[in-house]
Amino acid sequence: MPPRIDAAKCNGCGTCDRHCPIDVIELDKGKRLAVVKYPDECWHCGSCRLDCKEGAVEIVFPPRMLLV
Amino acid sequence: MSSLEQYGKVFETDVLVVGGGLAGVNAAIAAAENGAKVTIVDKAAIERSGSMGGGIDHFAAYLETGEQWDTRQAYLAYAGKIARGAVNLRVIDKIYCGELPAAIERLARIGNPLTQPDGTYYRTQSLGQPGPYMINFNGKHLKPRLAKEARRTGCRVLEKVAVTDLLTSDGAVSGVIGFNIRTGEVIVIRAKALVLSTGNTNRLFENPTGLPFNTWQCPADTGAAQSMAFRAGAAVANMEYLRLTVVPKGFSAAGLNALTGMGGKLLNALGEEFMPRYHPAGNKAPRFKLVEGVLFENQSGRGPVFMDCRHLSREDLEHLNRTLGYDKDTLPDFIRQKGVDLSKDLLELMVSEGMQSGPSEVCASGIKIDEECASTLPAVYAAGDCADQTRCCSPTIAGGYAAGKGAAKYAQSVAELRPVDEEQIVNAKERVFAPLKREEGLSHREFEDILRKILWENLGVVRTDGSIRNALSKLDKLEAYKDRLVARNLHELMRVNEAQEMLQVGRLSAVASLHRKETRFGVFHRRVDYPETDDANFCGQIVLQKRQGEVKVTFNPLTYEIPEA
Ligand SMILES: Cc1cc2nc3c(=O)[nH]c(=O)nc-3n(C[C@H](O)[C@H](O)[C@H](O)COP(=O)(O)OP(=O)(O)OC[C@H]3O[C@@H](n4cnc5c(N)ncnc54)[C@H](O)[C@@H]3O)c2cc1C
Ligand code: SF4
Ligand code: SF4
Repeated sequence: MPPRIDAAKCNGCGTCDRHCPIDVIELDKGKRLAVVKYPDECWHCGSCRLDCKEGAVEIVFPPRMLLV
Repeated sequence: MSSLEQYGKVFETDVLVVGGGLAGVNAAIAAAENGAKVTIVDKAAIERSGSMGGGIDHFAAYLETGEQWDTRQAYLAYAGKIARGAVNLRVIDKIYCGELPAAIERLARIGNPLTQPDGTYYRTQSLGQPGPYMINFNGKHLKPRLAKEARRTGCRVLEKVAVTDLLTSDGAVSGVIGFNIRTGEVIVIRAKALVLSTGNTNRLFENPTGLPFNTWQCPADTGAAQSMAFRAGAAVANMEYLRLTVVPKGFSAAGLNALTGMGGKLLNALGEEFMPRYHPAGNKAPRFKLVEGVLFENQSGRGPVFMDCRHLSREDLEHLNRTLGYDKDTLPDFIRQKGVDLSKDLLELMVSEGMQSGPSEVCASGIKIDEECASTLPAVYAAGDCADQTRCCSPTIAGGYAAGKGAAKYAQSVAELRPVDEEQIVNAKERVFAPLKREEGLSHREFEDILRKILWENLGVVRTDGSIRNALSKLDKLEAYKDRLVARNLHELMRVNEAQEMLQVGRLSAVASLHRKETRFGVFHRRVDYPETDDANFCGQIVLQKRQGEVKVTFNPLTYEIPEA
């Protein structure tokens, strides 16, 4: 389920956590890494990707949405 | 320490905006510009929260260019035609027409003009309009720009706070209570006046993809304002209407207007352009007619239904692809990942999940508002998709501003903050946090799934007196399970609260529907036991209000002469 965070690119800035309108993403402060905590609550608004300055967010639609 | 601080963190303000979405940020800017101290509270961050946080692409407006359809009169006549029985022309004349020029100017001023780079307007026609009212624009960063302006005008912003209850004192609203969804801290905000703007109600009906958050409008909008205001005694109206739209198969994404506005055609499985059989405007018919067309083609064995853009010029296709991404940032990704190329392939469509959101683009459903955006509760204003007369981009921007102005004026007339009833705080805290203390019970997900199934089976596109009563009796039983809801953490606690708001809205919708013994707006209120539209008896609003614990139902007739300019 979208989004997918590239751990190598994520700098732990927390913008995607703050800007997600649905509270899907939570920053792991210890690891300084954005975690998609509630993937099945994502509504694919794209805000996390729009505002990630590191280009660490990729939107991947699940087969359930693409294939039905 | 004031005595209230024993319960949590306490804030005081002149105007409190509950829900910093599109209506809320405009309301906040208005109130601040009119001299009020303003606080915005939102369960997310106002930079991207709400339905259009990720972008928006069309702004409906008449521009008085001299064309016959491009006037205030023509717009009001169109509104009266497509939303007859639901829209109050006097109200939208004041808050939409009255605020429209300033809204267009404001967007330009904050750096998000509605014009193309060459300074012209790109306008398209769709959804039953008499002319090209839809101004196409790049609204990908409109929300962060409005948020920046709200902060610049001095508004205080409380983010990640879910508001759960209105606090009242002597019948007037004195503030709200909520909690921080990350820390669990209780938040009490005292205000002289409030603007409620938490959007429409989503996740309410069964989702055709089985994914409840795969919704057309923002799934964090779950009817908080409608539910809180009703409980506090405010009148709500237009609640009976089911809203549906047509979306790409598998993804409940905005974009229909962009597709049909650019000339996209709906085809059935036989390759026929079927919409002219349902409405003279064909693919540019009002939304409820497009839904009806897709639904009935499928039911008649002529489905699936597709969007055909193959005939568009390369230039128009480029514009379309850009616009689709402005409206729903990830829709171009979806189309690509599905392996569809709009220049060569058909895009399969489906009817979306249902929601509470009013029957048309020109008015909505929810808190009943007057010409100043005031609700029937003193000190409470409302705008956007949670109010009965404003929705969509331009009416919400205009209406939000009108509500903020009204609230600022009201706040100025009040000398002091109203007292807060501590017992209400204690009760609200007890109710809201109880699910965290329960060891076992019903998850919000299970509760919501039951609600969605009851509503879709009984209050969907086929309604009868029997099905509505069946829904109500099942909702009564579900109500009893509210005391068994469990939450394992604060995120789930927010969801549990949302589920209860949705139940309240579902119930109001059923009660209103029972009283509307007619069909109006096709499948948006289809009483198969009363299949005709009955203007003699039902051209107006079903209004619901809580009185001594009961729901009082009244009828507010509406007439359609165009108000004097
Ligand atoms: C993808 C998309 C594209 C769209 N494009 C267009 C378009 O091009 N043209 C058009 O006319 N319309 C469009 N719309 C519709 C338009 O966006 C909405 O009508 C508009 O956003 C409604 O504004 P609102 O302020 O009422 O609700 P929202 O903007 O959704 O804001 C509601 C706010 O309330 C907050 N909230 C909810 N509950 C609580 C609570 N309990 N406590 C605290 N905060 C809460 C939410 O977090 C949110 O910030 C689009 C909608 C979507 C989903
Ligand atoms: S915005 Fe990007 S860099 Fe920042 S936390 Fe999120 S994924 Fe990481
Ligand atoms: S796409 Fe939107 S809802 Fe999904 S995680 Fe990103 S910001 Fe949140």
